[in-house]
Amino acid sequence: MKVSRRQVTAAVLVGQAIRLSAAPEAPDAELQAARDRLKTNAQALSAVSVPRDTEPAFQFKA
Amino acid sequence: MAQLGSDVFFSTIGELNARLVAKEISAVELARAFVERLQQLGPRYNALVLSLKQEAIRQAEAVDKEIKRGRLHGPLQGIPYGVKDLLSYAGQPTTWGAKPYAAQVFDYNATVIDRLDGAGAVITGKLSMVELAGGGGYRYASASLTGPGLNPWDRTRWSGGSSSGPAAAVAAGLVTFAIGSETSGSIITPASFCGVTALRPTYGLVSRHGAMALSWTLDKLGPFAHSAEDCGMILQVIAGKDSSDPGSAGRSFYYTPQYARPLKELKIGYAPGDFTDRAEPSARAAFDAALAVFKAAGAQLTGVQWPQFPYGPVLSTILAGEEASIFEPLITSGNVDQLADKSQIAGLKAALDLPAKDYLRAMRIRRLIQHAFSNDVFTQVDALLAPGRSGPAPKIDQPLAPPPGATPAAPPTPTPPPAGLAGIIPAGNLAGLPALVVPCGLAENLPVALQIVGAPFSENLLLSIGKEFQARTDWHKRRPPGA
Repeated sequence: MKVSRRQVTAAVLVGQAIRLSAAPEAPDAELQAARDRLKTNAQALSAVSVPRDTEPAFQFKA
Repeated sequence: MAQLGSDVFFSTIGELNARLVAKEISAVELARAFVERLQQLGPRYNALVLSLKQEAIRQAEAVDKEIKRGRLHGPLQGIPYGVKDLLSYAGQPTTWGAKPYAAQVFDYNATVIDRLDGAGAVITGKLSMVELAGGGGYRYASASLTGPGLNPWDRTRWSGGSSSGPAAAVAAGLVTFAIGSETSGSIITPASFCGVTALRPTYGLVSRHGAMALSWTLDKLGPFAHSAEDCGMILQVIAGKDSSDPGSAGRSFYYTPQYARPLKELKIGYAPGDFTDRAEPSARAAFDAALAVFKAAGAQLTGVQWPQFPYGPVLSTILAGEEASIFEPLITSGNVDQLADKSQIAGLKAALDLPAKDYLRAMRIRRLIQHAFSNDVFTQVDALLAPGRSGPAPKIDQPLAPPPGATPAAPPTPTPPPAGLAGIIPAGNLAGLPALVVPCGLAENLPVALQIVGAPFSENLLLSIGKEFQARTDWHKRRPPGA
């Protein structure tokens, strides 16, 4: 099958994008514990009543 | 010129500056003495990353010329200082305490260094820190390129972090003052453990330009020194608007002790249990004596309605979101595995998984926290008082966090409210509040300290409280054994 230079370039760019966006795999107890802490934190935050009109504590100015 | 005695290493800014202006000592003599002491003793505490001897002598020579011509630039002129190694200094390595950045060099100075240079202060060295300011969460004191920060009071104990070097260097008389940073506890903790005075300014008062970013919305730079008054003089120089820092509050700071309100006019909120049941047993006597000083001075110590929020989880979520973005290249490249602490590595990796909705929810709760402090807490009291830490410094090899698998299960809902002013460190950082740490006694022959927290931009009030406390006590003048 003939592959054009454009197709090769596109494949290389996609591969680079995938490598840049994925964190290296390190499935170990420390990583799991860290992920569990984030989940525990999220649970604590979900228990706080936040009025609908409360905006995040940062501002964008044009 | 007068012979320099050992007292010079523990003199305040005012004392040294008076001797310089009177030409009793020269800036070059002072710089040489401090540089040599830092080079000789800094490694003893793992406090020194890089000596800046040539720069120090060059700056000191310029100061001597200015003084000779009668050009006086204020109290910091000729005063030797060090900086936490997250501040860039042009042409020299800035390691961030972390192996992946050990050879990193910037071609510009951090704004605070330029401001101190403009005031004639003399930089003598880069001081150690916990790697990447500990944002991923670290389990051991050894989480640093330079090894664990050792406490000058007892080298089997931790100096605290992440501003390990600044605190130890001031405590051991290796610099007259130092600049450190805090995202959550990194000024309060080492200052408390090493028995030095330190100030965490209001968020945005001091430019972050040229400082490693760990969290754009939580990072603050502040001074470690021998007294509250010294902190005030340093803050006046380093504070102020900086267009290079998007978080700059655009405000200056002028240290005005002449307008200080005495303690007897102030209402100070505290929780008695923080100094008794919730304090480590060895520290309770020191805390009790410190509270007695406030009462004897006539301060109204009173309970305060403490806003109930999950401060720790809110801060941890915001920190995770921001540090993941800042250090994404480090994490995705795999270079994060070069860090010293496994818990830190895991924390940074996990942070990449944080959903945006969680970060935004935390930032919305943060606005509620800010509102509660402004409208509820600081309408009741002028300032808050709490222990800096609940007890003295831990042993070097003591884990600072539970090992994986030992994390307790999620608490039952609704979560019972925390006792006292628990969470004052994350709470104060979330609301951008200033805090002053003052040594207040010894426990197990190690320092313990108080923290005084105020409303945004109330640094003069905090400094006046600290100054009056230090006029009535001498803990801030105590030196580590053998120093």
